[in-house]
Amino acid sequence: MKKFPAILMGASVFAIATFALAQDSFPPLATLAPPPIPDDNLMSPEKVALGEKLFWDGRLSGNGSMPCSACHLPDLGWGTGGPISFGYPGTKHWRNSQTILNSAYYNKLFWEGSATSLESQAKAAAGGAVAGNGDGSMMEMRLRFVPEYVSDFEEVFGTSWPHLANAWDAIAAYQRTIVTDAAQVPFDRHLAGDITAMSDAAQRGMDLFTGSAGCISCHNGALVSDQRFYNIGVAAAAEFEEDPLYQVTLRWELYQKGVPEDVYRSGDDDLGLYHVTKRPGDKSKFRTPSLRELRWTEPYMHNGAFATLQDVVAFYNAGGGEGQTAGLQPLNLSDDEQADLVVFLEALSMDEPFLADPPELPETATWSEFSK
Amino acid sequence: MTGSIRLLRSTALVVGMSAMVVAFAVSRADAQELAPLPEPQEINQARADLGKMLFFDPRMSGNTALSCASCHSPETGWGDGKALSDAYGDLLYFRNAPGLFNVASRNFFMWDGRLDGSDLGTVVRDMLTESHTMHMDSRLAQERLKQVPEYMEMFEAAYSAEPYGGRMYGAIGEFLKTIRTENAPFDAYLRGDESALSDSAVRGLALFEGKAECSACHSGAMLSDGNLHATGVPDHPDLLGLDPEKAADAANRQITLLRFYASMGTPNYMNLRQDVGNYIVTKDDIDVGKFTTPSLWDVGQTAPYMHSGVFVSLAEVVAFYIAGNDRMVPLDLSKTEQADLVAFLESLTGDEPTVTEPDLPDYALRDVGKN
Repeated sequence: MKKFPAILMGASVFAIATFALAQDSFPPLATLAPPPIPDDNLMSPEKVALGEKLFWDGRLSGNGSMPCSACHLPDLGWGTGGPISFGYPGTKHWRNSQTILNSAYYNKLFWEGSATSLESQAKAAAGGAVAGNGDGSMMEMRLRFVPEYVSDFEEVFGTSWPHLANAWDAIAAYQRTIVTDAAQVPFDRHLAGDITAMSDAAQRGMDLFTGSAGCISCHNGALVSDQRFYNIGVAAAAEFEEDPLYQVTLRWELYQKGVPEDVYRSGDDDLGLYHVTKRPGDKSKFRTPSLRELRWTEPYMHNGAFATLQDVVAFYNAGGGEGQTAGLQPLNLSDDEQADLVVFLEALSMDEPFLADPPELPETATWSEFSK
Repeated sequence: MTGSIRLLRSTALVVGMSAMVVAFAVSRADAQELAPLPEPQEINQARADLGKMLFFDPRMSGNTALSCASCHSPETGWGDGKALSDAYGDLLYFRNAPGLFNVASRNFFMWDGRLDGSDLGTVVRDMLTESHTMHMDSRLAQERLKQVPEYMEMFEAAYSAEPYGGRMYGAIGEFLKTIRTENAPFDAYLRGDESALSDSAVRGLALFEGKAECSACHSGAMLSDGNLHATGVPDHPDLLGLDPEKAADAANRQITLLRFYASMGTPNYMNLRQDVGNYIVTKDDIDVGKFTTPSLWDVGQTAPYMHSGVFVSLAEVVAFYIAGNDRMVPLDLSKTEQADLVAFLESLTGDEPTVTEPDLPDYALRDVGKN
């Protein structure tokens, strides 16, 4: 008990320090510019249209029925709507399916940041044994037996046969069109000068966000993410204690990503960034997610631990979770302040969800329909 | 002391010479005599018991929908009874699934002779991990098996170790050694029981070794020269896609075929329109259309026949050889002679397998963090 005041005082000092830093040096919240387009994968309407078809096409999976859209459903915020994503048949996944919305802006993809482009992310997800489980050469041959794709790929990429690497290019181009429309976002309208765009509660929440709550120290810039990695102490998914198939996937991920044997033997949770770097200090770190479109993309965190934004705010208000190394401190926000913060977070989303209907998929043909 | 060393040396020399003679005999197909079945190989029972479970366990496939037994069932002569097999997921395969009788005594595995017959572990690995068959990530299979307490015990008994890729393949390979022709009349005949064959079958045997010239390739203890030949067997119409009603299925077989060619580095693979057989191994034009000579033991249980499953009965097979083609001279056999030949072929067939699918143990929860 003696130590308690000292800790509190320390916490206050830290919070103030963070606040001061936030005011000075974090990129301000802003409206998103159009997403960056890589020089080696320029956009065209034809490429985007091809990517749209491929995004929905089960040919880009092992069993013919696990397209990108199987775990990134527009009606469910371009995720699955559940805490942990669907797994490939016979498996269970281990992380929350992230929304596709605004994925165009990230410089690293996946919760552990293991892919450095949308193009490589699409390939990795379609090939992962607990995700799409597609064999590259088989997926490519499936595409080559579709005359419409043969002509699409020839038109877009100039190849006589579809090449799988170009399929990922097309999907990435399509994803670069699945982005927030600022005109439909209260916060962006507010920034543009519409003084009626955000409620008083949202404006109070924004002040907390950028001020004493310190959210902006990680959730900053137009994307509302610093794209860095932190361990904020989100508890391990209960599924790892309750279901053998989650345990299989947890061990498989440790094993196939090549962690040292002692880490594999004792592994009891998703180790996040550590899977990529193998640096002990990176255990349980995950990439700061964008806070745009949260209204449509629940649940939250890498394992979907929180069903509502109220839960998320309460988690931070309590100073994060056990074992966190992100320097979080209790925020001591009142109930009203927490509610204001939630209203502001909601104001970062479009008024209506970004939806899309599945395209019509082309037919497979026999080789007799190919020209030699 | 000196004397015993000399003795050892001379013994070694004799053994070495014998091995050379055997090797020479094997390389000359026409020199092989018909012979009784190869003797059983030594079995590590704990591994074979484990391998049997794994053989039937669909958790050994990527989507847990297929086991080895899906295409190699004891109920259909360790094949699947289909002309052309199914494949992984929604795909279809381009060849017939061969029966597994005496599989441990083969010279090659796979119809195209792609794999060495002395290496059972490798053919098992290939079937489990190949994307058109079971499409398994062996690391995931390992973790699935570790989730089953009974398998942990069986691996401990078999290997004094936990589940691991090479051990899975080795155990299934050990089980494959137990799949043998049992009580075939012709085997008994070769071992001295002359009453084992009917008069018709004995006449068929004479034709087999005589004017029908079957034993030019189907010779030795395996009734196979262990070699590769192009005999002009046609591809199955279901692969070629000639029937518009079956075009979608044909396309799914053609996808797996051309994908397989691509993965084998086959020249001009997008434009190949037939099963080129051993060509995918050698890339030499003279090997186009060559397939391994199948063993004829248990041929009565393994219909349909040929790499393409194109013949549904032994009578059709015999008719094919009688008709001849641009690679084989026609045979002049009377109806009675044809029937005798079929009677002999049927005498190569033993008992139906008694192996049945075992009860498979379930996944169980483990203590998290004690991996």
